[in-house]
Amino acid sequence: METYSKVALFGGVYNNYLALECLLKDCEKVGVDAIFCLGDMGGFGPHPDRSFPYLRNGQIRSMAGNYDISLAQGKEDCGCGYTDPRDNHFAQISYEYTFENTAPENKSWLGTLPPSLRFALGPLQVELCHGSPRQTNEFLWKSASPEHLLFKFTQECNAEVVCCTHTGIKWHRALAQGRHFFNVGVIGRPENDGATNVWYTLLEYEGRKLKWGFRPLHYDHEVLVKEMEREGLPEPFITTTRSGWWTTCLEIMPAKERACGLY
Amino acid sequence: MAAPAFPVAEFEYLDTLWFQVSGTLCNLRCSHCFISCSPENHTLEMMETSQIFQNLEEAKRLGVKEIYYTGGEPFIHRDFLHILERTLNDFPTSVLTNGLPIDENRADQLQRVAEASPYSLEIRISLDDYEQERNDAVRGKGTFRKVLAAYKRLYDRGLLPILTVTEIRDYLEPKRPGEGTYDKYADLLRSIGVGRPRIKLIPVFEMGMLDAPKRPSYVTHDMMEHFDPRLLQCSSSRIVTHKGVYACPILVGEEGARMGTSIGDALRPCSLYHSSCHTCYATGMTCKNH
Repeated sequence: METYSKVALFGGVYNNYLALECLLKDCEKVGVDAIFCLGDMGGFGPHPDRSFPYLRNGQIRSMAGNYDISLAQGKEDCGCGYTDPRDNHFAQISYEYTFENTAPENKSWLGTLPPSLRFALGPLQVELCHGSPRQTNEFLWKSASPEHLLFKFTQECNAEVVCCTHTGIKWHRALAQGRHFFNVGVIGRPENDGATNVWYTLLEYEGRKLKWGFRPLHYDHEVLVKEMEREGLPEPFITTTRSGWWTTCLEIMPAKERACGLY
Repeated sequence: MAAPAFPVAEFEYLDTLWFQVSGTLCNLRCSHCFISCSPENHTLEMMETSQIFQNLEEAKRLGVKEIYYTGGEPFIHRDFLHILERTLNDFPTSVLTNGLPIDENRADQLQRVAEASPYSLEIRISLDDYEQERNDAVRGKGTFRKVLAAYKRLYDRGLLPILTVTEIRDYLEPKRPGEGTYDKYADLLRSIGVGRPRIKLIPVFEMGMLDAPKRPSYVTHDMMEHFDPRLLQCSSSRIVTHKGVYACPILVGEEGARMGTSIGDALRPCSLYHSSCHTCYATGMTCKNH
């Protein structure tokens, strides 16, 4: 198994190739041994095929999210797990757009991605999953994920560090016995705080301990907005990219996270 | 050996644990209540606080993700606020209430309890029509006004409650389909100053106060082939009462859904024997928030 000392982790590209470009430059600046993508390449943004040259050029190790599995298998929906009709309505528009605009060879590549990844960070075992270790589209929000469950996940994975994505909002929780659980965030959509930047996660083993940090990425979101408009993507998505406030996927959020947003 | 008459829902893991904290005792007597709760219905009694705390410890050990309190009306349990506070130390927690017990004082207490926890407190308040007269015909005179006042009290304190609506309007008048139902409730909440309405629609279960269906449908073995059992909440939920553990909150108190005396007894497949199991199957219903 590969052992690293400093890695970058992110999820949810959501067709945001501009943020992906920005992430690669930032990783070069901070200097990392490896870059991991925890899945969900498509959805939300414009021009799906523009992300794949970055994802497939060998710099990034990727695993599959629910979106990638749906695209690769030609499923009828993204399998995100929303339960609200309005959320599902916009998710469906986005999925159909992404499906139609993703080249067959890119869909095939998505079909080759593993459901999880594992590596060592110094002496620590790190397990990567998309939603949770037990379910690809499980939502692990900070205020809805009890500590005892996260600890159980680390035990079941036999890993000191477990990382997920899927919800779109980053968080970290330190657990008993020096274990850690991270939601590494997404780079495709801002995280409902009124800021237009997106986030990724850095993990480093240094001085015999784990260090971590969340790094903001300030990409040119106005360019993305113009492209979303030109592609006729739903107005609520464009509002989110431009304002940093979520306008969809709201009903699946727990009360604490929802209370932080504008809508 | 012949296959059992009804299929079973395979058990995945215990994700959600419910407590029938106030049994079948309620301050209201709604005409559609699927377990016939009322001020006099002692079929299921109030739970002992110590019994709840013991089960919470077990739930923690098992890695349960979230806790739900229902009844009857949870707030008529004298220790309920204390129970809620303790639960929120360890679990994301939801409460299903009719809203009537939530006055200014209780809303303040709930705000304090919610803010002290790292986990979300979800408060679900029931309303059954967006028109006062129709709601009050189901839930009791004056409830419409009181429910909206309770919702607003919590909303103004940042608690963002979820309005829970049984689709009783369509059940009573099937000729008037519920097209746009969600928007009607959202508009109602916006009209009282709620900028971020949260709404959950749930189907009617023909049991309890309502007559059993004349031609009941059941889940068959064929229907379970190629069906993901995780879509049924009984694959990952159980409900604890004062007299044992049941498969799900809808069939609570029904002998055929009783799984045993402790959580440990209940971590096994349950029979999809009831016509209400078909309702869950057909509608994708979950009693959970999402």
